[in-house]
Amino acid sequence: MPKDRSEKVRVTIDGRSIDAEKGKSILEVARECGIEIPSLCYHPGLESFGACRLCVVEITKPGWEGWKKLVTSCLYPVEEELIIDTRSEEVRENRSVVLDLLLARVPESDVIRQLAAEYGIHDTSYTKREDADTCIMCTICVRVCDAIGANAIATLSRGPDKYVDVPDKDACIGCLACALSCPTNAIPFEEFVNGKRKIWGREFDLVYDEISHEPIGTPEQIDHFAEKSGLPKEYFLKSDKVRKKETAVTFARVQF
Amino acid sequence: MSKRLFVTPYRCTDCKNCEVACSFVHTRNPMKPALTRVRAYTLMGEIKSVVLCLQCEDAACQTVCPTGALTRNPDTGAIDRTDACILCKACTMACPFGNIHFDPAYEEIVKCDVCGGDPACAKYCPTRALVWAEEPSPDLDPEEEIEVMPLPWAMTMPAK
Repeated sequence: MPKDRSEKVRVTIDGRSIDAEKGKSILEVARECGIEIPSLCYHPGLESFGACRLCVVEITKPGWEGWKKLVTSCLYPVEEELIIDTRSEEVRENRSVVLDLLLARVPESDVIRQLAAEYGIHDTSYTKREDADTCIMCTICVRVCDAIGANAIATLSRGPDKYVDVPDKDACIGCLACALSCPTNAIPFEEFVNGKRKIWGREFDLVYDEISHEPIGTPEQIDHFAEKSGLPKEYFLKSDKVRKKETAVTFARVQF
Repeated sequence: MSKRLFVTPYRCTDCKNCEVACSFVHTRNPMKPALTRVRAYTLMGEIKSVVLCLQCEDAACQTVCPTGALTRNPDTGAIDRTDACILCKACTMACPFGNIHFDPAYEEIVKCDVCGGDPACAKYCPTRALVWAEEPSPDLDPEEEIEVMPLPWAMTMPAK
């Protein structure tokens, strides 16, 4: 989405008049002004997806004759004269339903339980999912993997059976970015099990620094980042601590 | 010309005031000196030097970052890590100077942001090995009295 950052539009969020950059979403503008809107699938570094529906807000305009509508603030761009209410009764009610449903999907997730408790929901009114993991289908992992360029993770199947997995295990570079970015910690991984890393049912070797014997990353990860950035591969073969000391030696040598 | 951090290794005494000041300012409670962005070293038993992010013009960390999370701050001239970070750790592997790290406890990338334009390391350096200035500092006059800030033990933790 091309974003023209020079133009400004005037919006009202919770009664506050704000000059917002055109092209930004309501969520981005609100957070810049310190107005908190809860979200799960939004990530500032990734394209918005609107999966969790938790960031709904109520919008209206002077010409709408009192009509209001609910939109996902992470996807809706700010417009001139837009009046936004982030905590009306309707917004709260909608978020409560979303959280109630999420709680039925992932009853064991601490993150969701905490969020739901903030909206007064301590137990779901729906039937709990059997053998539930903590995945809420926010697809942050899919988008993270896409941003990195590995494109290994995908959503499979449809409807209530939809799930996230790595269809082609060879495409995964074992960088752990998906697991670390997951808002509900639903992606299990193991590090340093017999000097290996385990994620998505695959075992990865680790490249160790020759001097300090610290793990740097998987060979797939190093190849991928070196190739994608165009930087020489030697850049990726030493740990940050060893390099820092080498820089100190260079600094000292320049001086003496 | 905007201000930069100038390093003069021969003045460094490896007193580690910079490291303490840095971890006070940047790490959350409890303070973690291991995650300091600036490091002082004693090399080969006698030579001392201090190392911190060079804020490269054509930075490897910026080149490798898949989401553009490392952006140049126009006010300070530093490369800042923004919320767009997806924790792929490519930058920590790519930096040729080893000045960008991953904090496993808080799961975030840590790097020098020159404290938003007022670097604590330079403020607490007693020998002016680290100077935040527009020009490199002239050679030190041994007779000159240096105004040193009190040691950072008295600093208060920033609310985070």
